[in-house]
Amino acid sequence: MVFAWCRFAAAAICLSIGLVFMVLAVFGVNRFHKALNRMHAAALGDTLGILFVFLGLMMIRGFSFDSLKLFLVILFFWIASPVSGHMISRLEAMTDEDLGEIFVLNQVKPAEKGMGKEHSKEKKKKGNAGKGEKKN
Amino acid sequence: MEIIEQAYQGLFTVVVLFLALLIICCILRSAIGPRTADRIIAINMTGTMIIMIIAVLSVMLDQNYLVDICLIYAMISFLGVVVLCKIYTGVYLQKKHRKATFEAIAENIHDQQPDTDVHCFDSPEAEYAGDGREGKADGKGKPDKKKEGHS
Repeated sequence: MVFAWCRFAAAAICLSIGLVFMVLAVFGVNRFHKALNRMHAAALGDTLGILFVFLGLMMIRGFSFDSLKLFLVILFFWIASPVSGHMISRLEAMTDEDLGEIFVLNQVKPAEKGMGKEHSKEKKKKGNAGKGEKKN
Repeated sequence: MEIIEQAYQGLFTVVVLFLALLIICCILRSAIGPRTADRIIAINMTGTMIIMIIAVLSVMLDQNYLVDICLIYAMISFLGVVVLCKIYTGVYLQKKHRKATFEAIAENIHDQQPDTDVHCFDSPEAEYAGDGREGKADGKGKPDKKKEGHS
């Protein structure tokens, strides 16, 4: 009896941890502004969320053929999710014309807002000069 | 023993209802997502949560064959995402008359705003900055900002 309740408690904890990860993933997908950032949040649910939910179900099932199948689903997801993520990110990198706006976030500082553009242009020129030297 | 059965039933019901709520939020994102990639990401996550619901139901109803359906659903969801990505990449590139290579990505990053420093994609951009660039840039008819900086 005690063992059954312990198993129930462990399964409930694992399922709730998985649900927390899924909530974080949905929150991130609805909250971020760019598709590449959203992909980061979605990958959290694809790996950790599904791992904990299926781990809880495997604890309830015990050692059986069903547990093996559930484990196979986890394994398939861990192999397939990075592949699909790579495909989506390649689609985004090819088709998004405003992809460079992600890097603007690093540059905007409230103190030097007026000077920002000139400063960055100087940086750009320096970078170009460096490249030219490399080529020669 | 009946108490623990009821506890399991309650746990599974709560989990399934919670996942259904999350699916509704995810479908909202897929409806209002501004770009195609956002919609594909949201649909992929919806598929993940549906797989979780099917797995929970297989334990809740004590039906073994639902786990097989779960595995098949995972495969079909993966296939759908890959096919959708290929289709939308092909549509975009056909609109632009380009081929699907790394150079298309590097060119896209190269044509970004002039005051952004791009740190990623070092090697494709370096390739792209070679001799083949000027002909392409002239063919597109776009003013080349980096070239002006050089001179």
